[in-house]
Amino acid sequence: MGKRKSLIKIKPKKYKTGEIVKVSFMVMHPMDTGTGKNKKTGEIIPAHYINEVKFLFNGKPFTTMKTWETLSANPVFSVNFKVPGKGELKVVYTDNQGEVNESSKKIKPKG
Amino acid sequence: MQRRSFLRGIGIAAAASAVVTPTMVMGAAPKGPNTLGYEAAVKAITGGKKVTASSKVHMKAPEIAENGAVVPITVTVDSPMTDADYVKAIHILASKNGNVRCADVMLTPANGAAMFAARIKLGTSQDVVALVETSTGEFLTASQNVKVTIGGCG
Repeated sequence: MGKRKSLIKIKPKKYKTGEIVKVSFMVMHPMDTGTGKNKKTGEIIPAHYINEVKFLFNGKPFTTMKTWETLSANPVFSVNFKVPGKGELKVVYTDNQGEVNESSKKIKPKG
Repeated sequence: MQRRSFLRGIGIAAAASAVVTPTMVMGAAPKGPNTLGYEAAVKAITGGKKVTASSKVHMKAPEIAENGAVVPITVTVDSPMTDADYVKAIHILASKNGNVRCADVMLTPANGAAMFAARIKLGTSQDVVALVETSTGEFLTASQNVKVTIGGCG
């Protein structure tokens, strides 16, 4: 499988050390429940959903999530994060068919 | 003797099939791969501990969702988020979905504030429940009813 499109957004765009920011992680993923049918062939589409998301800062996890197929397709996960300083924010996710992907963003606080 | 053992064999086979078929039918029921009732799911999370409704937990969801496939929800918890007192986990449950559980979010003091936002699928009109576990071992809850015009499962 090719790499899925994913994106990490930080709000507000300019932040300082010690400030609490909102980190959103978006990924293009079908999140199939396993009950839907292909409208043309009538075959059941097998379940395919993200079951684990990890937020890491400089390799240390600060938020872990277990998720199920009841999340919408192309999900967005948002959490707060207190900026401790410069570093790299990384999000790693796994799905039930064994795909592992990651996405990262540099954290550069101003002041 | 042969006939007797043969008949006995048939009897055992029939009994076995009678036992097996109902479970097979149950297994083939048209439901998702993860099915768990609401009460059972709450029990699995809390381990039978008391759950109290709290005004500290704020659940934000639309009252009427036109499309059940995309329902935005936001959960915030009033908590200092220090090492001594922080929110350990936020569980999102949809009480009438085929699979009740949506997400378990494990937080740490590094988050700074306890917030989780995502978009979920809802099959029918139902309560969306946030179950919050604090570091002191308390379970707090808040819920909101969401009316769904078009279901979003399957």
